[in-house]
Amino acid sequence: MNERVAIVGLGWTGFRPVTPEVSYRELMYDAALRAYTDAGVDPRRDVESFVTVAEDFHEGTSIFDEYVPDQLGAALKSMHTICGDGLHGLATAYMLVRTGQFDIVAIEGHSKASNLLTIDEVTAYAQDPVLNRPLRFNTHFVAGMEMNRYLHETGTTREQCAAVVVKNRYNALANPSAPYGANLALADVLSGPMLSSPLGHREAAEHADGAIAMVLASEEKARHLTDKPIWIEGVGWCNDSPSLESRDWGQATYTQEAARMAYRQAGINNPLQMIDFAEVDDIYAYKELQTLEALGFFRPGEAGELTADGFTTPEGELPVNVSGGSLGWGHLLDATGLARALEVVLQLRGEAGARQLEDVEVGLVQSWRGIPTTSGAVAILSN
Amino acid sequence: MTLLKRDPKAPQAWLGNLPVTSRYTFGLGGERFFRSIKDEGEILGTHCPKCDRTYVPSTIFCERCLGKLEEWVDVGTTGNVHTFTLLYENYDGSHREEPEIIAFVSIGDGGLVHRLGDVEPEEVEIGMEVEVVFKPKAEREGSILDIVHFRPIA
Ligand SMILES: [Zn+2]
Repeated sequence: MNERVAIVGLGWTGFRPVTPEVSYRELMYDAALRAYTDAGVDPRRDVESFVTVAEDFHEGTSIFDEYVPDQLGAALKSMHTICGDGLHGLATAYMLVRTGQFDIVAIEGHSKASNLLTIDEVTAYAQDPVLNRPLRFNTHFVAGMEMNRYLHETGTTREQCAAVVVKNRYNALANPSAPYGANLALADVLSGPMLSSPLGHREAAEHADGAIAMVLASEEKARHLTDKPIWIEGVGWCNDSPSLESRDWGQATYTQEAARMAYRQAGINNPLQMIDFAEVDDIYAYKELQTLEALGFFRPGEAGELTADGFTTPEGELPVNVSGGSLGWGHLLDATGLARALEVVLQLRGEAGARQLEDVEVGLVQSWRGIPTTSGAVAILSN
Repeated sequence: MTLLKRDPKAPQAWLGNLPVTSRYTFGLGGERFFRSIKDEGEILGTHCPKCDRTYVPSTIFCERCLGKLEEWVDVGTTGNVHTFTLLYENYDGSHREEPEIIAFVSIGDGGLVHRLGDVEPEEVEIGMEVEVVFKPKAEREGSILDIVHFRPIA
């Protein structure tokens, strides 16, 4: 068994609202090649197993896993595709190394959202076909109802949610990979059109294309390959009831449980004291606040006020989504969790450029699989 | 399936689609739930004695303890608005001027997602008591659409 697992290679391409000239295979190839080069490994010789995250309906191809191996260098090798968020993929790759059966494993996630012309219908196809889908509601209603209950239970305000948009899109200005950077005022966010009240259009991430790949290695290999290994100290994942009829509408209980699992492995008993920064779900602005509370950084109802006060800016005590988050680089479908992990690795390596945080040692990654799911994952990384 | 063709709006891309048609079985718990709406105008739940939870819609197992559920309960036709939203997009993502008023109505320990009717958007509140409005019996076919909407209790 391999006790410790490190991220030793990192590659990404994008992120851009549209990528008309390239195929998803070329996006994957580009990201994978960069990751292998960064890790100093030959995929055909050194990488022993490969994991991709993808959802057939997002790809427009059924049995999509058959289309994965070639562009990753995984043909005739151990590989599999899982239907989950990128962070579920990272957890899977981590476990493969932990088993001791593999010492070097690659994980990949991508988005070609610009080619998905009926994305609302595809998302609605995830609603219960008998109980919910006949009502023909756009699936954003799930986020609208969840946000409304969250505000009701915690006293959080729409203005505090809008502060998340202002912060993250401003942060994105310092991230060359984030296409949605902007210097907005609270009023710009609040005066936008409604999506599913109390949720406004400008509080929902726009889609983007791109791909992210990482190389994971056992401690022995990692020490050989790099002098900047980023250790995976803990991973956890959890689902609440999928049914709209029995889920928790106000709180992200699935994130709370996923965090409990990751914290136990990483030995974290006081997240605010022991974790230096976090990249968390902000596909909808309120999710960042709800998630920070579920992660135990703040008590329910505190995240909004602290965010409005600047506690979670890059200069604040707990920087959150310094990358710009999904609001800044775009909703990357199944690759979302890997994009969050990417930022944490860059920060921990000291390679985040203009947005580099000072003296960071432990970072948290959390991701949610999006509407209408109650599926979340958490990872703790350290240098 | 249609033949692939070049997208006139994006010449580097090809258009293709797939008709997806499935049959869905709602099962023993779900079918009895719908039949009781159709025939009796009653909403059925099932009670787990071990967890003391009443599932609405009825299911034949408890998702908490995985026990088999055999106590069928008529849970009445009223509930309260646990949360709601005014939705400004259609199913296909196009904008709608008049929002859909949608609520999750708590009934027993579960509830139903549905439209709210006979109410102005600005009058809706969390906690508001509402009742089911069924279609006339002759028009009911045993589906979620046998419920027209929920409306405030006057
Ligand atoms: Zn039970």
